Amino acid sequence: MPNTESAPSAGSAAAISSSGRSGLLSRLLDLFSSVRLGITLLALLFVYMAIGSAGVLYPIHPNVFHPDAWVHAQMRQWRSFEMTEFEWFHWWPFDVLLGLICLNIAVTTVRRIPFRPINFGVWTIHAGILILAAGSVVYFGTKVEGDAPVLRRKVVVTWNEPGAAATRLAADGTAPAAASDALVLSAVPGNRGRLEADGGGYDVEIVDIDPQWELLSGDDVGERAYSVTLLVEAPDGERFMRQVIAGRPEYTEDLLFTDDPNQPMQRSVKVNGTPIVDDGLQVELAYESQEWFYLAHQISKAWAIYVRPPGADTWAERPVDGMPLYNDYVASRDWVFETPGDRPVEIDPIDLAVPPGAGDPFPNLDLRVTGYLRYAVERSRIREGGPAAAYNPTAFMTVSSDLGERSEYRLQALDPEARRADGGLLAFESIGSETQFDALLMAPSLRFRIPEVDFEIEEEIRAVLLAQQELAFTDLGDTGYAYRVVAVQDDIPLASGEASIAIIEIRTPDARILRRWVFDDPRLTRDVGPDMTGPVHGGPALMDDAIEVEYRPGTGMALLTLVVGPETDRLRLVSSIGTDTPTAMPIEVGRPVAVEGGLTVAVDRFLPRAIVERKPWIVPPNQRDRDAGTHFAMVRVEAPGVEPQWLPFHQYAFDGPENLLRRFRFEPSTLRLADGREVEVIFSRQRLPLPAEIALEEFILTAHVGGFTGESGSIRNWTSLIRFRTGEGWTEPQQVSVNDPVAYGGYSYFQSQWDPPDPAREAGDRASRGLNYTVLGVGNRHGIYTQLAGCTIAVLGMLYAFYVKPVIRRRQIERAAAKARPKPEPGGAAPQPVLAGGRA
Amino acid sequence: MNGSNETKRRRRPVGAARSQTPGDRIGRGLPVVLAAVAMLMFSATTNAREVDERAAPFHERVQLDPLGMSAVLVEGRLKSFGSHASSTMHSITGPRRIGGQSDAFTYLDLLIRPEAYADADVVYVKNKNVRQRIADVASAANPALESRLETSVKTGLFAPSVLRTPAIEDLLRTLEADLVRTARPVTEIRNALTLSDPRLLLSRLRIIPPTAEDPQTRWHGLDELVLPPAPPTDPSLASGLPTLPTIEGLDPTLASTIRGAWRELVEGWRRGDAGEVNAAVATLAAAVPEVNGDLYPEQARLRWEHWYFEQGNLTWIWLVYLASVAILLLAVVYRWPTALRIGMGAFGVALALQTFAVGLRWYVAGRWPNSNMFEAVTTAAWFGAVAAIAFELWVRRTPLRGFFALGAAVSCMVALMSAHFLPVYLNPNIGNMMPVLHDVWLYIHTNVIIFSYCLIFMAAVSSAIYLVHRLFGGMPAYARAGGTGMVLATTAGAASGGGAVAKVAGEAVRSGRPGPSFGEVLDGVTMVLMELSFVMLWAGLVMGAIWADHSWGRPWGWDPKEVFALETFVVFLLLVHVRWRVKDKGFWTALLALVGAGVMLFNWIVVNFVITGLHSYA
Repeated sequence: MPNTESAPSAGSAAAISSSGRSGLLSRLLDLFSSVRLGITLLALLFVYMAIGSAGVLYPIHPNVFHPDAWVHAQMRQWRSFEMTEFEWFHWWPFDVLLGLICLNIAVTTVRRIPFRPINFGVWTIHAGILILAAGSVVYFGTKVEGDAPVLRRKVVVTWNEPGAAATRLAADGTAPAAASDALVLSAVPGNRGRLEADGGGYDVEIVDIDPQWELLSGDDVGERAYSVTLLVEAPDGERFMRQVIAGRPEYTEDLLFTDDPNQPMQRSVKVNGTPIVDDGLQVELAYESQEWFYLAHQISKAWAIYVRPPGADTWAERPVDGMPLYNDYVASRDWVFETPGDRPVEIDPIDLAVPPGAGDPFPNLDLRVTGYLRYAVERSRIREGGPAAAYNPTAFMTVSSDLGERSEYRLQALDPEARRADGGLLAFESIGSETQFDALLMAPSLRFRIPEVDFEIEEEIRAVLLAQQELAFTDLGDTGYAYRVVAVQDDIPLASGEASIAIIEIRTPDARILRRWVFDDPRLTRDVGPDMTGPVHGGPALMDDAIEVEYRPGTGMALLTLVVGPETDRLRLVSSIGTDTPTAMPIEVGRPVAVEGGLTVAVDRFLPRAIVERKPWIVPPNQRDRDAGTHFAMVRVEAPGVEPQWLPFHQYAFDGPENLLRRFRFEPSTLRLADGREVEVIFSRQRLPLPAEIALEEFILTAHVGGFTGESGSIRNWTSLIRFRTGEGWTEPQQVSVNDPVAYGGYSYFQSQWDPPDPAREAGDRASRGLNYTVLGVGNRHGIYTQLAGCTIAVLGMLYAFYVKPVIRRRQIERAAAKARPKPEPGGAAPQPVLAGGRA
Repeated sequence: MNGSNETKRRRRPVGAARSQTPGDRIGRGLPVVLAAVAMLMFSATTNAREVDERAAPFHERVQLDPLGMSAVLVEGRLKSFGSHASSTMHSITGPRRIGGQSDAFTYLDLLIRPEAYADADVVYVKNKNVRQRIADVASAANPALESRLETSVKTGLFAPSVLRTPAIEDLLRTLEADLVRTARPVTEIRNALTLSDPRLLLSRLRIIPPTAEDPQTRWHGLDELVLPPAPPTDPSLASGLPTLPTIEGLDPTLASTIRGAWRELVEGWRRGDAGEVNAAVATLAAAVPEVNGDLYPEQARLRWEHWYFEQGNLTWIWLVYLASVAILLLAVVYRWPTALRIGMGAFGVALALQTFAVGLRWYVAGRWPNSNMFEAVTTAAWFGAVAAIAFELWVRRTPLRGFFALGAAVSCMVALMSAHFLPVYLNPNIGNMMPVLHDVWLYIHTNVIIFSYCLIFMAAVSSAIYLVHRLFGGMPAYARAGGTGMVLATTAGAASGGGAVAKVAGEAVRSGRPGPSFGEVLDGVTMVLMELSFVMLWAGLVMGAIWADHSWGRPWGWDPKEVFALETFVVFLLLVHVRWRVKDKGFWTALLALVGAGVMLFNWIVVNFVITGLHSYA
């Protein structure tokens, strides 16, 4: 900052030129001594920063007074730039600009501002800014920043059985992971696996985790600890719960199921006198430490593809350089689905090599990224495939009511998962003959036959026990047999196809009650055991083969059934609404028909030979969540001889589904190489090893008065107690909480994210009380104290320039005026005021 | 010739103001301004009296104050029911009050008589485009509603019966698919409809303290005591007799009192019996603290909180600032000592009131008020006013007197008007701070930054006056010694022991001879403010970086709010250097001070509400 109010003083340009120096260097020095240059550079800095941060606003219509004539855009996100904020503010033009400003400051200060007390302020300010700039070069030049998820515990299950091997399953029951002699599950509700040996095995599932379990016995009464409860099914079929408490293995105990509805569980110690009902099974909790942190895109783009052979435990990272971030890059519009009416995706192909690094399991795999989508989700769409396509009748239907309610459906008659809707009340059937159609016109029925007494009867199913608690048995004539229907379920997917089933109870003449699963395929029909807990394995088995039962599903549960066939374009609608006898009526595409109950049914489209296409759908910009970040990014990868695939973005490269944290994704794709090998791939961020493995000892949620209510406003703080692994073991727990980081091994660790309570989202899912993991921000901060010193020096300079310098100057002027003032003469004229107006 | 007269007036020295007497025109002007302000200030009181004179409707006869001062646990904060009702109704009816009723009354009325609101215009839709779309679709579906919907488009209030029709539901589904433009207004509509559900309103009345000693134990909703339990799923478990709900550990007699009082309140309310309602409210309000007196918050705090929200968060103080602005403007433009004294008095009164408002909010919230936009704007203005007093004391013997008070008065008036008239944007409700804000740097960094922002705004006021002065022919004068230098010179000059030059200036002032011109004084005021804001803004940025370093892991993240705070500083850097180079220093100083204030306001308005970043809470 120059001397604010005085004209250029001693050392000015005139003085410099008089020194006799000439030539290019002199001109350059003169140029960089110019305040005009400084002003110009500052103005350019202002414009550059404004464009980088707020973007640009430009008209797209001559009528610039209309609000719609203006478009706002983030220029740094344009295809030509594809820069994050950090990248924009460390791009070479910005660096050059700052360099020139620093040069300008340095040269001007030295050449034009004499080093005198009155100018100490401006010298200090300029020195401070130059020190800040030097510190920033170090800081931003070495900046590394990312985040690391750390789970609290893992469950280690072992079985004292020779040859026992473990299989782990994800919470969704898919993707069996590698086998080992111990079952290791990340402590996440819903994680499960199996320990198997000859003759049977243990099925284990984490059903509950209570991070604040209150100890009610022993010396630790009243204390709270991290508790994990497992549901165990032993090889003999017995089921029990095992509760394990972190840091207190002595409190491990089993809980047994009872028949008492008021106390469904009871402690084993009270029933058997011992806390462990099955000591062949050992369960322990151990740290689930983290050794990586994932680089943040905010600093610079850090994309990576991870590869491994299927079933491997660890991933090999392949960084992807030159990847975009903000725009879509495809070579063909056929690669994606677009939204009609939206601006078509720009054809802008990319082809980026993703070379292997050291230790890559596929060193010869020439993987390439050939497409990128900023915000897309995989969708399937159906279109007519034409005469060459396979028969795949698909109907798009609308059912509307008099009350204005309206629902749309897409049904596929040959797809077991897509042929029914609304819990089976709406169905789409394909028939090959009129006989099949006649069967569909029947209500579901049971045909009973007792050959010994030559008794045969067909009974329609009108009520089931599940819906009618007091359903009485119906006598079968005078045979002494009676029955009642417990439940009906149609089109259950089986390994061999589909089957429909009626579960009935039969009361025999000797007053026994047996439960029979009656299938539409009589070969599958069987009786279940006396405990009625499940089917008897090993083939059909009838406890009373004197009575034979056959199930005829008819229309089954469906109130409305759309039927196609026998001709491939013939559609009929069968309705069971408000009648015991289903009625059939023809229905044509685009011509709604009215049925009972004030309903109108329409077939909007019908495709006899539909083809299902799966592609990424580019989400229209106005439907994108601003806070989604890169969550919905996708890349297209391909390799020679490999079918290209779109990969969704993963926040972290978890080793397996059993390591998956709630609210994150683990959906690896498989590439099939020409030589028959398979490659498992995921798309994620680059990662770096942490200086030491981190374990999460405890995660503490502190609440305001009234405790944590689920509302964000009730949260006071989050705290992770973490340990670092050293050569001698784990360090003492160190506390990381909001505004209170920890430094270790050259990095600082910050409290970044937490695991909030999460309800069960679908059938079979387990709810989570949360607090099972933490996400730590990780970053270095070289040069920070130099930056701080520069800033502080600048502040001191400002205070001097604005508040000390005026005092010095005033004294100087007073001294000068006192010297210059003539001695007052009696009656003489008063001197003119210095600050009188109108001088400028 | 007029020109010569104009020149004379322009060149009239500020320092000679004491020897001037106001002209007739000025003498006529001041009473008119004062009368206008007084009319504005007392119009509300007059309206209230008029209402009292009529037969009072039910909502005016019920006395909800005892309940309004009861504690409710909301999002981890024990607030008065009055403020809880205010924040809830803010989410439903926006800035509008329904039928002149208090928020507390409307809350209970919605809860007790939901049917009365099913077809009443109570749900506020902020987005005008969405309002119009709803009105278009609703009137197409039911042309009879057309005129009513025209009113809705103007007021923003729609009836739940309109918003719940299938046609509007279809429209809302379409609108919420547009995440950029219309999803948020639709979410607000859905939230308002959900919040107006009587069961939810009742369950959110967590007014019963826990019986346990641990303050971390949750409070109980009134529904836990007054609503019958859900029927058992197993019919065999039903005894045939309804069981009364209770709360573990709660004295049955007290439970019965609370339950009975609530029943009487509801029954009296539905009958329109204000006497019964008032008695029930008093009983209920007296019984609830007895559940656990140790955990119940201080009654005085609840009482003040209730009063504070009843008073509209005291944002009406802008009227007092308006009065001081008018008078101070007369004082500084016409150099009228009497007006200056009156103006300073009005400013002092306004500042005292605002200090009370800030202090009261501090007491009620239990923390210094600088954690949301309402608090940041109003507290920043208060900082400016306090600084103005300090400046005025400093410059009391100089021609600069009155200008700082004027700048601060304008700043405070604008800030409080924004809070008063734009509650949708500056939400006055008091909530807990986000965990990241619990840090000593919140008080250091934020206060320094908002203080500098207010100084920048004050500098913009003096700059604007300077430019207007120039526009009307003022000479391109400027403060040669800079802001602080000018004050030092003129202060010392006015004092008997000052230096030679200052003595000269001071003598000039005392003798009535020409002192610094109006333009010089305005430029000096701008420079004084700019110099301090320059240091404060830079220091505030550095302090923010220190906080960000230990909170987010990096001192500087190029977040839009950071960038535009730095941009404001860059503008002032430009000002300092441009002022050094150009001839017309006063003009460029004023112009760049205005640009700086524009960038600062852009940062506070556009960046906060449009471009979000890490600083989204402030």
